[in-house]
Amino acid sequence: MNTLAVVITTPPYSPLTVSAVSYVEAALESGIELIGVFFYQDGAMHANDQINIASDEYQAIQHWQRLHKRYEIPLHVCATAAEKRGISLHESTDEVVNESFIVSGLGELVELASKASRLVQF
Amino acid sequence: MKSKNHIITENAHSKAGLAIINSKAPYGSYYGKDALDIALIFGSYEQKVSLFFQGDGVYQLIAGQDGSLLTMKDYLKTFAAFEFYDIEHVYICQQSLHIRQLCPSFHIADVKILDIADFNEVLNQHQHVLRF
Repeated sequence: MNTLAVVITTPPYSPLTVSAVSYVEAALESGIELIGVFFYQDGAMHANDQINIASDEYQAIQHWQRLHKRYEIPLHVCATAAEKRGISLHESTDEVVNESFIVSGLGELVELASKASRLVQF
Repeated sequence: MKSKNHIITENAHSKAGLAIINSKAPYGSYYGKDALDIALIFGSYEQKVSLFFQGDGVYQLIAGQDGSLLTMKDYLKTFAAFEFYDIEHVYICQQSLHIRQLCPSFHIADVKILDIADFNEVLNQHQHVLRF
């Protein structure tokens, strides 16, 4: 069985996100097992619930949530990368990390890389 | 030529580990630091990780720099700890050095200078590639 892990290092407003979402969806539809998506660097911004992208632009964050709901793919966001971008990870009323995301560390990336037969970065 | 092809074919069957390509200069962004953090964590989990420096990324290895003058955390100093993390393979692109007229004088030991063909070949021996 081919296993895939994806690393996202570009922000939600990057055109690369369109490629990433299309790639992931095509992989899932063709029966490839996606073991996880790891959001690092500016990619962590995908977990920010407060980001508002103009309605005539690509809604990357909504697409990740849709894929997560439909295929139950684990979306890991790097805690350090998220916090330095204003994404609060603490239990409080002003929590901004999206509920579809799992707050992880770089150890999770090690885990994904060791299990995946292919690791692809966008 | 025949034997070289043979080596490449053999390597294709034994791809292992993570290659991290560093392509950005050290102080204008934190790409290098973010790449370093990944290298160190893979090293501490005893996963094979190799570092490749090309393009402006070669500036990260040049000796005689002091990032603290820019009031930045000088993450390049941490490169000295590669041995402790079992990061043994550090490769630098010869052409990238040549284009920038840089002397091969590095702030860590055991940096291997490779021409583009060998750089690509060694890179291709890794299972995964991340680029920063």
